[in-house]
Amino acid sequence: MLFSRRLMLGLAMAGAFAFPALAGEGPTEIDLFFPVPVDGKLARDMGTLIKEFNEGHPDIKATAVYTGSYDDTLIKTRASIKAGKPPAAVIMSANFLLDMQIENELTNLDSLIAADGSTKDQFLGQFFPALQGNAVINRSVYGVPFHNSTPLLYINADKAKEAGLDPNKPPQTWAELTDWAKKLTKREGDKVTQWGIAIPCAYDYCGWMMETLTMTNGGRYYNEEFGGEVYYDTPSMLGALTWWNDLVSKYKVHPPGATPGPAVSTSFISGNAAMMMLSTGSLTYVRENAKFNYKVAFIPRNVRNAVPIGGASLIIPAGVEADKQKAAWTLIKWMTSPEKSAWWSRATGYFAPNMAAYKTPDMVDFLNKNPDAKTAVEQLDVAKPWFATYKTVPVRKNLEDEVMLVLNGKKQPKEALVAAQKAAEETLKPYNAETSLKLP
Amino acid sequence: MSLAEPAALPVAVSAPPRLNLMTRFTTRFKASLPAYLLLLPSLVFLALFTYGAMGRVLIDALYQRATPRAPLRFVGLDNISAVLADPAFTGAVINNLIYAIGTAIPSIGLALLFALALARTNAVTSALRAALFLPVLIPMVAASALFLFIFLPNVGLLDYYIGRFLPVLPNWLGDPDIALYAIMIITIWKNAGYYMLFFLAGLQAVPEDVMEAAHLDGAGPYQRLRYIILPELKPTFLFVIVIATLNAVTQVDHVFVLTQGGPSNATNLVLFYIYQQAVEHFDIGRASAATLLTLAALMALTALSFRTMANRESGP
Repeated sequence: MLFSRRLMLGLAMAGAFAFPALAGEGPTEIDLFFPVPVDGKLARDMGTLIKEFNEGHPDIKATAVYTGSYDDTLIKTRASIKAGKPPAAVIMSANFLLDMQIENELTNLDSLIAADGSTKDQFLGQFFPALQGNAVINRSVYGVPFHNSTPLLYINADKAKEAGLDPNKPPQTWAELTDWAKKLTKREGDKVTQWGIAIPCAYDYCGWMMETLTMTNGGRYYNEEFGGEVYYDTPSMLGALTWWNDLVSKYKVHPPGATPGPAVSTSFISGNAAMMMLSTGSLTYVRENAKFNYKVAFIPRNVRNAVPIGGASLIIPAGVEADKQKAAWTLIKWMTSPEKSAWWSRATGYFAPNMAAYKTPDMVDFLNKNPDAKTAVEQLDVAKPWFATYKTVPVRKNLEDEVMLVLNGKKQPKEALVAAQKAAEETLKPYNAETSLKLP
Repeated sequence: MSLAEPAALPVAVSAPPRLNLMTRFTTRFKASLPAYLLLLPSLVFLALFTYGAMGRVLIDALYQRATPRAPLRFVGLDNISAVLADPAFTGAVINNLIYAIGTAIPSIGLALLFALALARTNAVTSALRAALFLPVLIPMVAASALFLFIFLPNVGLLDYYIGRFLPVLPNWLGDPDIALYAIMIITIWKNAGYYMLFFLAGLQAVPEDVMEAAHLDGAGPYQRLRYIILPELKPTFLFVIVIATLNAVTQVDHVFVLTQGGPSNATNLVLFYIYQQAVEHFDIGRASAATLLTLAALMALTALSFRTMANRESGP
């Protein structure tokens, strides 16, 4: 009797150490914060994905928590870190990682990678090289690319044909695009009934589009190596903004004012805008809702072909307990595996960052049926990191506020960019004082 | 706030004058002890959630953290002067003034109009009252989400109808000249029904006999309105104006949903500015300083209007 009791006790204790799940603790519960930055039914797809994960991992119970836009997700994550209850994992806009690392808000993933017996290079080798700029900071891994995007040129092929243009030979340069936009704009007197092109400019999207145009104009938006410098007042950005402004006020082929992304896609779907520049993240939404033939193409260049990376990476915030970190790491690896990232890519339109995803049979099949999904991947050869600075959001807004004034005809591009540069330098000042200007 | 003002309580026992001060105090205290005990729970919550928070804001406003890695530093009133020197804050204050005046006057005017028109209760007016009150029941965030589609340039509901008459369609939320007014329309639409309720209640309080007397004296509808109803509604007016002003400062849900303070800060209101400082710029010092300034202005305003009301009540 005594013996068996002791044995039982011993077994129970061994069990408690070996399987904490059996010791009355239940599965490790973790939260995953996720944003929905583009059109479509992402929230429902995320529910499906997490349900599948939980079924396959009985020792972990993940809950997906919807947190709004990319900007909102950053704010909510920061609030929960401050409150001492950070979520175990977050799908974070890839360009916020640097800012968060500067603020000590990220868990360095190097040790988790090493614990798997993998090296950093092996781990990062799974992903497209263009994505690493927004995931690796000071040679340490802080984020795992999950869904990524590039901007695309969407063309209403029916309207192009109607206007005598060949949708199979989309515009490749700014000059050709201007020409297309002119031909695709319809007017009744002064009133425009169909716009040639629409480019979104709302907070967050506007900065990304400015980076896109500046890059295709041969320039850069920021210092890729250091978070304290932006290049707003430069010829390449001036050229980009001048061209955007010309589309609005000189050629009158682009609706005036600042327009958010959903308004642009609604305009395109309803036939009110014949072309748009938008994230590949909206591709599935367009595919499912457009009642006309459409084409997607590379973003046209002025000087060179180039696009910024967009989209989000998975991160583990600072201050997550060890067991939850482990569970989150399991979730992150699962979500970024070739099969799952391929599935998510098909569901959303984002491209899959994991290169092996494109070798899975389902994906090969899907790409054969939907060749439009290839464009973003092809553009990766010319893709560069997304802008990331100290205090990314305010520094980005410094530019966006000025761009909005230009698109509304309130300021000329040059004076707007001078003002944006000045404001951004003011925002970056404390960081520069602490780093680049702190001389020995 | 009135709950926490024990000083205003009537003192039940007035002690005889020859007792010394200490005894007088004890007697008074003993007499009012039950009252204090009854007030205690409210006081605890007020201290925790109102005064405590205000004290914290006061302290936070005096400190500044230059960079993430730098320690907190006492800076005195620097945060306040930095906020006052920030053109974005001045812009937000001006926007807020335009917004407050531009929403209070039309919504109060409409509310009075509705109340006068629907003062008598019958089936039709009840239905209309319900219809006008409906926007109050819709959460501001939901209402804003609806208006997001109504305001959508070119394809939205508004442009669909207005589009036939205008040569160039305005970009309602994307044009810094219009965006603030677009947002004001939502507020007016939402608040008019709410204020109507107060005016309906106020109209009930207009003495019947005075109205009858006016009728007998041959006063026309305009004269009755001008000389009887409006003067009688004065307390209601003051109350509604205070509420409308507070609403103009505390409601920014629609700014969050529709414009995020943009384009180019055109719809930035004071509360949204505070939010931006706190969570976007991560600058608690400045956010607290701006909060303090706003609180001071609001308290001054409320005190002023309550004094006006008190004067009116004790006046001839």
